[in-house]
Amino acid sequence: MSMNRRDFLKVTAGTSGGLVLSLSLPGCAGIPTGYDEHSGNWKPDAWLELTADDRIYFTLARVEMGQGTYTGLTTLIAEELGVPPASIQPRFAPAATEYRNPLYNLQLTGGSTSLATSWQPLRVAGASARIMLVSAAASVWEVSPDDCSVAGGRVLPPNGGDSLSYGRLVELAAKQPVPEDPALKPRKEWKYIGKNRGRLDAEAKSTGAPIYGIDVELEGMVYAVVTRPPRHGARVRTFDDSDVRKMPGVLDVFEIERGVAVVADKYWQARKAQNALTVEWDESEALSVSSEQVFSSYHKAADEDPGESERSQGDFDGAVGSAERVVEASYEQPYLAHATLEPMNATAWYRDGAIEVWAPTQAPDLGRIAAARVTDLSPDDVTIHTTFLGGGFGRRLTNDYIEEASAVAFRVRKPVKLIWSREEDTRHDLYRPAMLHRMKASVSGGQVTGWHHQIVGPQILDWYVRNAAPAQYPWAPKFLYDTLGRVGLMAEGIATPKDHSAIEGAIEYPYLVPNLDIRHTHTDPGVPVSWWRSVGFSHNGFAVETFMDELASELGQDPYQFRRSLIDHEPRHLEVLDRAARLARWGEPVPEGRARGIALFRSFGTYVAQVVEASVKAGEIRVHQVVCAVDCGQVVNPDIVRDQIEGGVIFGLTAALYGDITFKDGQVQQSNFHDYPLMRHDQRPEVVVEIVDSNQAPTGVGEPGVPPVIPALGNALFALTGQRQRRLPLKAQV
Amino acid sequence: MAVSLAVNGRKQTVEVDGDTPLLWVIRDEIGLKGTKFGCGMGLCGACTVHLNGQPVRSCSTPVEMAEGGDVTTIEGLSSNGGLHPLQQAWVEHGVPQCGYCQSGQIMSAAHLLQHNSAPSRDDIVAAVSGNLCRCGTYSRIVTAVESVVEKGTARYSREDA
Repeated sequence: MSMNRRDFLKVTAGTSGGLVLSLSLPGCAGIPTGYDEHSGNWKPDAWLELTADDRIYFTLARVEMGQGTYTGLTTLIAEELGVPPASIQPRFAPAATEYRNPLYNLQLTGGSTSLATSWQPLRVAGASARIMLVSAAASVWEVSPDDCSVAGGRVLPPNGGDSLSYGRLVELAAKQPVPEDPALKPRKEWKYIGKNRGRLDAEAKSTGAPIYGIDVELEGMVYAVVTRPPRHGARVRTFDDSDVRKMPGVLDVFEIERGVAVVADKYWQARKAQNALTVEWDESEALSVSSEQVFSSYHKAADEDPGESERSQGDFDGAVGSAERVVEASYEQPYLAHATLEPMNATAWYRDGAIEVWAPTQAPDLGRIAAARVTDLSPDDVTIHTTFLGGGFGRRLTNDYIEEASAVAFRVRKPVKLIWSREEDTRHDLYRPAMLHRMKASVSGGQVTGWHHQIVGPQILDWYVRNAAPAQYPWAPKFLYDTLGRVGLMAEGIATPKDHSAIEGAIEYPYLVPNLDIRHTHTDPGVPVSWWRSVGFSHNGFAVETFMDELASELGQDPYQFRRSLIDHEPRHLEVLDRAARLARWGEPVPEGRARGIALFRSFGTYVAQVVEASVKAGEIRVHQVVCAVDCGQVVNPDIVRDQIEGGVIFGLTAALYGDITFKDGQVQQSNFHDYPLMRHDQRPEVVVEIVDSNQAPTGVGEPGVPPVIPALGNALFALTGQRQRRLPLKAQV
Repeated sequence: MAVSLAVNGRKQTVEVDGDTPLLWVIRDEIGLKGTKFGCGMGLCGACTVHLNGQPVRSCSTPVEMAEGGDVTTIEGLSSNGGLHPLQQAWVEHGVPQCGYCQSGQIMSAAHLLQHNSAPSRDDIVAAVSGNLCRCGTYSRIVTAVESVVEKGTARYSREDA
């Protein structure tokens, strides 16, 4: 263990769900201070390294997949350190306990949590280092630290004398007492937070710099592709590789747990050779469902099992009993693929009893488990190098591609790059689950008196716990992995967090309705599922905000005013709702042939209201404009907030208009962008984003733009056509 | 087979199967990783390069079809070794999110500007509509291209030199 680890800031979960820092005592003889005499560099904590020649490195514990951590988190530490964000060089964290996400006790990037969980600890880290640098300079000048200031990576003395650069001060700074409770800069003194624009990674990403997993290049590297079963759960029975082995460049063909690997000198050789491979599959445990069966099984489950109560308030059955009217609707939503533009890939190299993996992953510590599971190695023998990610959206929380690359590398003993084709990426995804929602409301005296929401579908943790549980207990021997997976599930809500993936966004129903009955009927058709940008909010948002629209219509009320009348107890909801309506000129005439729809939804702590303006022309739905009002607390980078909301809108509209992964006899029917289309430039609406000025603690923005736009579009189409669509994706003609 | 082609002005000869997509030659034989693999069917545009001045999908262009050709990739777009005006605009407008599609977006936009120094918004949208962006950076892409048009610095590619 390196000596420096001892004086890393120790991160422990605080009572508020945020972080508290405990610091070791440096400065005394014999106690490590984070100063390395050989290099002359100072690591005051787990995040910062300052060098004698004035470079500042920042270890980024949350991956960059487009959501802006590289810029946003660097801005936090830069603000308190007193240097421009662009003068800091971020680098991706290795897998280590001090870099875990405190909300999950795993080192993963997801749930729109990066900024919220880093807001306090990173500013404290920056402030501590700055205070120690100032004390060091003050001791040199024999003045009070209070009379010194910092600017541009230098400490300035009182009375305008010569300044000292941070680099010159690091050795002395390391010996200063660590401030116990460093005062953070007041808001009015911020130079970068809330003001910084642009992105620190924009130049690398505009010049073709080799920064993604797929770009990794190692000396002597070979390439692998894997033929996987067409139906999930099938296993290799036998395979015939006699023709494959005759193909140019082919080095090896062998079975791994997930299929048959073909390894060749070049990628294209491996791909061509793969076509000559014939595999006979044992399909005795293979998935055999078709999409229609999924939904009929959901309806059957819903009839037979009212589900577990997830929120109950008042007396819903009583409200129905005395209601003048009962309104019912059910909504069906399909499986959705992540479709990151960079397909799944990983590069692995096994040598000297250890394996190194270079991969675009959202969860490096789970990657260690994945690699250990399929080799003779323990997680400690696995090093994960995280690269930039060409999109994540939840897909790269699952490290099946690391598992495959590691299994191949363990056998070939050369650096191996595994690349999935787009077709493989589409067909072997872990999907946003298909879901059924049954809604029922009681209405009396022109008021909604009761709200019932039965969510029907799987839970994601059932699929995720396989590698997540062992990652939380890395000391556990491998033969316990499967047990840990099962225990992890049983301990849900005790040792592991309750799985909210099916119910989030439904149980937080915010409107003022006295009697609530919200339930989850847990049923799993066996299709692999995972987190997908905005997760449960993505389907519950549609269910809640579409049914609200149906109720407004039943009551003969304006959809905006109807929501408004039921939300005035929630000021942040109300503010974004009013702003979006005002900005979209709600109630004013719409251009001929168009209509507006509205939705209001809070997810990941962020409040978003959206108004969609749409039309139907020549058999196609056209979305003209989406107006968004957003309250995400304190904004760190306004450009990134805007981009994330706009990107979320495009992502949500893609799902609303085109997203449909279907199964036939257990096989995915889609393969590439011709049958799983993404919204294009010429289909995009104008997106207007207004951000509420707030000094509340910041909340995430990567996901909250997605959920409301789907119902807002459906509601606009209802306003346009008078026909309610209750199954996604939406169609131009029903 | 041996295939000769010029990449970013440099003559190269590579020994590969003739049906190898130009994309993998550029990435793995020549070692320029800026051109991206997205779909392998010419559907997403991440692999867009210029072949003899025309934008092509390198993932579905066999290298033998590029024999003797002149290829420009994102790394060779600029005429002076600095940033091409489009790349400069991409940085100034903070266009990239995950960034994976942006080489292709820029190559499509660069071809437009080489042939039309005053394109309308519709021209710009048409030129880049074959380039998918999963992050949804579309509006910033159009704004960035328009800023280059306004500055009148559109023609600064190596290919114009």
